[in-house]
Amino acid sequence: MTQQIQILVVDDEQVMREGCQRILSKRGWGVALARDGREGLDTLKKNRFDMVLLDLKMPGMSGIEVLKEAKSVDPKLLVMVITGYATIEFAVEAMKIGAYDFISKPFSPDQLILVIERALEKKRLEEEAERLRREQEKSLHDIATEKSKMMTIVNCMADGVVVTDRESQIVLNNPAAARMLGIHGSNLVGEPLSRYIKDEVLNQLINEILTCRCSEHSVLSRELVVGERTSTHLRAHACLVKSDEGEMLGAVIVLEDISYLKELDRMKNNFVAMVSHELRAPLAAIEQQLMVLRDGFIGEVSEKQRHLIERIKERTDGLMTMIRNLLDLSKIETGQILYYKERTNLNELLRKTVELFSSQAATKKIALYLEEERVLPPVEVDRSTMEVVFNNLVSNGINYTPQGGTITIRSSVEGNYIKVEVSDTGVGINPEDLPKVFDRFYRVRSEQTRHVVGTGLGLAVTKAIMEAHGGSIKVESELGKGTAFTVLLPLSEKEQE
Amino acid sequence: MAKVLLVDDDVDFSEATKTILESKSFEVGVAYDGVEGWEKVKAERPDLIVLDVMMPRKDGYEMCKELKADPKYSDIPVLLLTAVAENVSTSRYTTLMGMETEADDYINKPVEPRELVKRIEALLSR
Repeated sequence: MTQQIQILVVDDEQVMREGCQRILSKRGWGVALARDGREGLDTLKKNRFDMVLLDLKMPGMSGIEVLKEAKSVDPKLLVMVITGYATIEFAVEAMKIGAYDFISKPFSPDQLILVIERALEKKRLEEEAERLRREQEKSLHDIATEKSKMMTIVNCMADGVVVTDRESQIVLNNPAAARMLGIHGSNLVGEPLSRYIKDEVLNQLINEILTCRCSEHSVLSRELVVGERTSTHLRAHACLVKSDEGEMLGAVIVLEDISYLKELDRMKNNFVAMVSHELRAPLAAIEQQLMVLRDGFIGEVSEKQRHLIERIKERTDGLMTMIRNLLDLSKIETGQILYYKERTNLNELLRKTVELFSSQAATKKIALYLEEERVLPPVEVDRSTMEVVFNNLVSNGINYTPQGGTITIRSSVEGNYIKVEVSDTGVGINPEDLPKVFDRFYRVRSEQTRHVVGTGLGLAVTKAIMEAHGGSIKVESELGKGTAFTVLLPLSEKEQE
Repeated sequence: MAKVLLVDDDVDFSEATKTILESKSFEVGVAYDGVEGWEKVKAERPDLIVLDVMMPRKDGYEMCKELKADPKYSDIPVLLLTAVAENVSTSRYTTLMGMETEADDYINKPVEPRELVKRIEALLSR
């Protein structure tokens, strides 16, 4: 709601006063009158005025004195001075000490209105500008506060944060990042990222992010080791920084110190290795003694006795296998296994597996077939662990297929992968159990499988090995009909044409 | 009659293995760690040594290295035994947990009696 403009007219001449009042009221403005400087100043103290029309030449207190005093009380007061035609220089002096404008007598009503309107408008604009500036200051202050709040938070984070621009130059980092990268003085800004992170794969990954060669939502994670004197194990998570308009600005990398975790892992593995040996040595002794007993080295053994001894040995074999699987699994999971990858023709490995299990299959009268894809491109795999994979699958097949059944191993090429399928005509797996078969220690318990000695770890190890090779394994089954495990291994890049 | 020295810290395992080998007419001596093993090597000069790896005081790995470094005894075939087998290859230089030994052969515990005898006979016939 805009208040009515209030103008105070200070003039010793009554004609002037009443004339102005008439003109200004007609315009719709509120008018107050004062006969001299003293009255004018008193009125100013009592009321708010948008403008003062002040006659310079007055007896008693002069206009200049009134102006000075009024301005000292309210420096923002709009004062328009009225001068005589011949006394312009007084107007100039008045303006020097704060009068806004002047009008010289005689003047027409229109002239008066015009001059006043101009002054009022200008004042209004000035006030508006002032208001906007104050608002902007406040916004900037708020932004600065928010910004400094964010920076404080980032600077207090335990994880390291490094932000790079499109050219992999560091534009921001927090103290934690500097500490993790082993730099003294926390400012790395301006340096290329590769100066501090020498890990080639990470730098390459960041390059990929920056050149948009991957999905914008992907976060690339990688473990790396930094530092020359004391190696610090870090895990880096890198992702894209995009502006609201979708413009790619750079990359943000969060660094996690996992040295503690690595140490724990190392200790755990030492523990596992130690326990594994402590468990295996006595088992080995038990088995050796059982064999001596079984084979009649210390006296004749009846058929029943021999059978019992065999059964005991099967249980101890099972324990041995479980320990070996646990150790393998522990190593696989902590990335300790050194995979020695060589170009391999899988058919060769499959033939070895068939040979290994042929007598066991024959004992159960199970037919073991190998259907090889004749031309099978080579793959880069670690032979010994790949053998474990196929041995596990065939062994499972034999264990869970009744007498007279069939196990078929089929190799083929499918797209960019080599596919090996091991299927049997065995007891099958319940749909409820199917999703869990790759879980550790999971064993299917049913009437037909009760007698099978197993650890529940074979498939877990198999899956871990497949994943370490960048491949996969899946299972399909029908109760009473059979089960098929399918393994996929990626072809090496050259073969992928 | 070939003389075999069995060096292993597990009493039960040693007993069992001794029984197996004696039934095949081997003369078997037993020692319980590398230190005792060396004493017996010097005293009896066996034709073959079956050596367990994990032993106190001096383990099989160390003893094997020393045997092969000593020209007086380097020609005695050494069969390394262990329960800690992961993926190892058998060759002139056998890899054992990332280390290399000069053992002549390498076998996992427990071992089928027939297999043990076969390997020992093979080493002796070389």
